[in-house]
Amino acid sequence: MTLTNPVSSYIDTQRGLIRGEIFHDREIYELELERVFARSWVFIAHETMLPTTGSFIQNYVGEDPILVVRQQDGSIRAFLNQCQHRGMRLCRADLGQTKNFMCSFHGWNYNLAGKLINVPHGEATFAPEDLADVKLREMRVTNYKGFIFGNWDENAPNFEEYMGDFAWYFDSYIDRYPGGMEVVGTHKWVLPCNWKFNAEQPTSDMYHGETSHMSAFEVMLPRKPDGRLQDWAEQQVEILADAKGGQFSSPYGHGAGWFDVGVPVLDKTIFDWKKRTSGEVAKRLGENRVYIPGHANLFPNFMMLGANTFRVTHPRGPNEMEIWSWSMAPVAAPPEVKDAIRVDLLRTFSGAGMLEQDDAVNWEEEQAVLRGFMARSEHLKYRQLMNKARYDHNGYPGKTVPHVYSEQAARDMYLHYSDLMSGAPWPELVKLKAERVEQERQACGKNNFLNPAEA
Amino acid sequence: MKTDAHFFSAYRRPQSRLASAADCYQVSQFLFAEADLLDSWLFDEWLQLLSPDIRYWSPARENRLMKDLEKEVSPAGGSAHFEENFEMLRQRVARIDTNKAWAETPPSRSRHLISNIRVFHDAAGRADIYEADCCFQVYRSSGERSQDSVFGRRIDIVQRDPGEHGFKLLERTVVFDMATILVKNLSLIY
Repeated sequence: MTLTNPVSSYIDTQRGLIRGEIFHDREIYELELERVFARSWVFIAHETMLPTTGSFIQNYVGEDPILVVRQQDGSIRAFLNQCQHRGMRLCRADLGQTKNFMCSFHGWNYNLAGKLINVPHGEATFAPEDLADVKLREMRVTNYKGFIFGNWDENAPNFEEYMGDFAWYFDSYIDRYPGGMEVVGTHKWVLPCNWKFNAEQPTSDMYHGETSHMSAFEVMLPRKPDGRLQDWAEQQVEILADAKGGQFSSPYGHGAGWFDVGVPVLDKTIFDWKKRTSGEVAKRLGENRVYIPGHANLFPNFMMLGANTFRVTHPRGPNEMEIWSWSMAPVAAPPEVKDAIRVDLLRTFSGAGMLEQDDAVNWEEEQAVLRGFMARSEHLKYRQLMNKARYDHNGYPGKTVPHVYSEQAARDMYLHYSDLMSGAPWPELVKLKAERVEQERQACGKNNFLNPAEA
Repeated sequence: MKTDAHFFSAYRRPQSRLASAADCYQVSQFLFAEADLLDSWLFDEWLQLLSPDIRYWSPARENRLMKDLEKEVSPAGGSAHFEENFEMLRQRVARIDTNKAWAETPPSRSRHLISNIRVFHDAAGRADIYEADCCFQVYRSSGERSQDSVFGRRIDIVQRDPGEHGFKLLERTVVFDMATILVKNLSLIY
């Protein structure tokens, strides 16, 4: 497939300019399914969602339904959730436990490993060789600290290489305490906007929080009898107003942002517990990772917040996305903290959540405006904190900028997106990225700043 | 199929508990008046209908195998859209009053349709408490072209009250007829 205009013609990361076509164009969207989603590592399950042999969950990679299954030997495998006979959706439950998967169309039956084990009237009506090669299409999977990711492309770099320095930031969300994470709530809903709006935000937009979510901060934080915020609550508001911190960006499109004193917390039980355990976390991860959880996105669509929501944003056409969100708590957290995390998230970052609701309307209107020819021709400005990047600065691995409010990670996300959308095969892209990073590292001045004026 | 597997099977009540026509009329009028307050953006007055101990809960649902039917609706303490007490509901109202709750600024136009009302006497035999079951549709139009609607079933527990509206809401369970919520947000009160 060739685009009328290549995606790279809409993306100028040097000048921080991106045109709205990439959020609107049907042709670009169809190509994203092939060149982005069928080639990237996408979150498909957490191992605690698959407790026993035969446990399964459905998920998606792009628009392709995926069946993730716990095997007899305890391993986890993932298949296209499509009967290989006539293309019917094989499993139609969101999750459960089973011995095998029978298609409800003609009764073809597959075992947990995706092998075809029964075809009704098969012996009488099919030649053995016509069934010999039939099995469920299987994707590459990897298990990173309990988080299962899948990739369709055999030539894609392995997951560790794909993550790169992002792993250091990711660990500060999921590996703060011994024992890993567990799911305490699930939410799914749809939004009338392009999937990239919910990818770029946790990658690179902490900036919107103060304006978009001001109302929630005004009403959810507890006050003293005189009407002023309680002292701990006042600190949370000051975090946004002072806004010190940083942002990480990756040659593979990932991003992470943090406040240097931690992301604001709206619940006292969670606040106290985080404070109480910060020494323990510092010992496990190092002092500078205590406050890393703010927001992050593993390209393309696996987002996480310091508040412990972990979600994938499934594309549903250029004008719609579907959010699958899991509230997770550290296994090591006491029961009252796990429950506080569950309730806090349903009240903040779910479809009914008092922060999430407002994102929905901003994105809906952003998308609707892009129907206009002039609006689409306009360059959107992703220019915040230009030329401030440095490498491996002050203990933060990889490329970072010295402020939490920055569009550097968005620029790098769209550069990677543009690379993928060029259609160049992975080995070429890996080489290109290595060269680009090497050039940037060499260009860094003595204090590791890309821009010598900043050094 | 297990006869008690579905969430709603717990709400099958004997005809003997059906309240009188007069009780049913009064409770129904209370629910219609409440819907009117919500659709007229009289949220502060709406708060006055709530018991200070109100429990407002909306469990999430999933697509489950028939053998797992009892898990189709999340249990208490599981996935939920709302799990609110009075203070939490007050915050939702106060948020709209900030004029910065962008989901409802400018305000949407909503319509709560309440139907299939059945009113039962309290299972424990308390004379002034009723269980009111209804189905609802909440239509919403916002901005220039956005419109959506959600359907569901509600189980309300109400208590007679000497105040203007005659009843207070003690408990509300809102069960939406959707697994994936097919609207952009749940920014109203249901």
